[in-house]
Amino acid sequence: MNAPVRQPDTTRLVLECAHLARRFGQRTAVDDVSLSIAPGETYGLLGPNGAGKTTTIRMVCGLLSPDAGTVHVAGRPVSTSAGPAKQLIGFVPQDVALYPDLSVRENLRFFGRLYRLPRRRLERRVDEVLDLIDLGTRARDRVDSLSGGMRRRLNIGAGLVHSPTLLVLDEPTVGVDPQSRHAILESVTRFGEEGMAVLYTTHYMEEAERLCDRVGIIDRGRLVAEGTPRELVALVAERDRVRLTAVGGLGAYTDACRRLARVEGAARGGDHGDLVELVVKDARSLLPELLDLAHALDVDIRSVEIDEPDLEAVFLHLTGTALRE
Amino acid sequence: MSAVLAIAAKDLRQRLRDRSAWVIVFLAPVLISALMALAFNDNDEFRANLGIVDLDRGPAATGLTQVLRSPELQGTVHVRSYDAESAARRAVDTGEVHAAIVVPEGFSQSLHGGGTEPVRVLDSVDYGLQAQLARAITESYVAQVNADRLSVATAVAAGAPRTDIPELAARAALLRLPEEVRTQGLPDDPLKVISYFGPSMGMFFVLFTIGFGARGYFIEQQQGTLDRIAAAPVGRGALLLGKSVSTFVYSLAGLATVTFVSWLAFDASWADPLGVAALSVAMAVCVVCLTALVISLVRTEQQAQGLASIVVFALVLLGGNFVFASGTTPAIRTLALFTPNGWALRGFTDLGTGVRGWDAVGAPLLGIAAFSLLVVAVTALLLRLRRTP
Repeated sequence: MNAPVRQPDTTRLVLECAHLARRFGQRTAVDDVSLSIAPGETYGLLGPNGAGKTTTIRMVCGLLSPDAGTVHVAGRPVSTSAGPAKQLIGFVPQDVALYPDLSVRENLRFFGRLYRLPRRRLERRVDEVLDLIDLGTRARDRVDSLSGGMRRRLNIGAGLVHSPTLLVLDEPTVGVDPQSRHAILESVTRFGEEGMAVLYTTHYMEEAERLCDRVGIIDRGRLVAEGTPRELVALVAERDRVRLTAVGGLGAYTDACRRLARVEGAARGGDHGDLVELVVKDARSLLPELLDLAHALDVDIRSVEIDEPDLEAVFLHLTGTALRE
Repeated sequence: MSAVLAIAAKDLRQRLRDRSAWVIVFLAPVLISALMALAFNDNDEFRANLGIVDLDRGPAATGLTQVLRSPELQGTVHVRSYDAESAARRAVDTGEVHAAIVVPEGFSQSLHGGGTEPVRVLDSVDYGLQAQLARAITESYVAQVNADRLSVATAVAAGAPRTDIPELAARAALLRLPEEVRTQGLPDDPLKVISYFGPSMGMFFVLFTIGFGARGYFIEQQQGTLDRIAAAPVGRGALLLGKSVSTFVYSLAGLATVTFVSWLAFDASWADPLGVAALSVAMAVCVVCLTALVISLVRTEQQAQGLASIVVFALVLLGGNFVFASGTTPAIRTLALFTPNGWALRGFTDLGTGVRGWDAVGAPLLGIAAFSLLVVAVTALLLRLRRTP
């Protein structure tokens, strides 16, 4: 379910956005958004289409001037001019932004040169990125001869050539086949593990839950909640449901479970009477205790199912609308 | 600087991979120049086949024939005699001669004070220049004859006996009208067709680079690569400069190719290679400015293509890329001064006729520079207005 919890270095932030705001005519696209990302942390900006994710990202990358607020990357201010902060940002746009008539290597080399990499280092990085995105054998092929998934991978690779401190990915899996999507998510997980700060926008809550150390939920331009996926889920006053399929003295086991502090309800069920359903707080941490109790009562647990409230439910709770509306 | 070069090199690489760009900027102008050179090859030296019908059979008519066959006109005018006007008319209609001069009966007699019909020129719409030449020679000769008549009449009025009229007429015929007109400042070398149409076609096709450049910008905007460049530590100035450098190099390469091939393969000649280079560089800079103007005026790739085509055809029609400037109306010649290609062609024409250095390219370079500066000013204003919310 969730990615293993890493310990981001919060003492020196890579990205600091303070009170960002941006209007387009009468419409407020982003309204007082503040967020920060530490090294090695993957931050998910979760919201439906039109919520303000892309506008926020464009301000973070210096493609758009905010009407109010500031963006700093590693303490350096970001602006639409060619400031030093841009050297630290790797931008992966939502659509594949590559030159179809150039080869894979030429594309990577071109974007690397924009970051003033010395020739030798550039060539080395291009080779490394080609390995990373698994396109080494297609390096000399034109981009327009690649499959959609390969282009997506190259699109990400072009944002990595200069070894950025902050990688910004704008909905990189939209319209991607499952296999490529899996590969992209694997890559993003690896970037975080390697110490890169990642800002990842998506409207797929499964991605946010799988990838992100922290998630900001954005709706109608406002950041309505922020925290780890667990923290956000905890905002919702729902409880986890645990379904145990077992054989043995299930009556006694059910009664014993009811007496546990965090179990709010327990009942036997199932067509064959082999199911115990529990309503609990924080099923994951309670699970060892439930298993120990079964062992003590000589109950043989055959399967365990946990239904946890997810970010979809959180979003519904916070905004009154479903995430994909 | 590295980003500027990276952008310029990338743009050039993309253009060189586009076959249509090769055809339009390099191949087409060379081929069309070559075709024009072949088509007009015989016209490098002007010739007029003129007929003459001597119905007068007197000394004045003979004099006109002698003028037509004079050493000064030898090599330019070839004369064929006809007995009757109808025969000459047929010869003109069939193209046997380009025009014919009919000297009426009694033309010589008119020197003695009598009236006569005018000398007529039979012409063809296909050979306007030759007819004009025939008319000019005839008018010049008739003016001399009229001067002779005036001399004789003056002598008679002053009391000379009428028996002396033939002698007076003969003596008057020996006197020539003073030559009031002498060409000054005109070049010694004739302008070869290829020397004009080589650079002319080169410019015509290089102007299409405006469309390539403007469309390329909007394609990049659409495919998101422009954002990607803007997200890198590359200032707007570097982006603009990089794209300008590629347009400049491409335009200059197109012009250089056409002029070089015209010189090498088709014997085009210009008096001053440096002048040719200066005009080519100036035109390439102007193409960059016009590309920026088109980008500032439109919002989409299709609009860019449409506007660029309008700009190109307006410039080449007004600038005289399809016709010799001398063959157009004064109004068109004036309008050509509002186009950079019109100025450049003026320079190439001077260079092609032997004028050198600043005399040939000074005014054209200033004209192109003024046009380019105006375009830059308008572009800057438009971009400023666009940025203002």
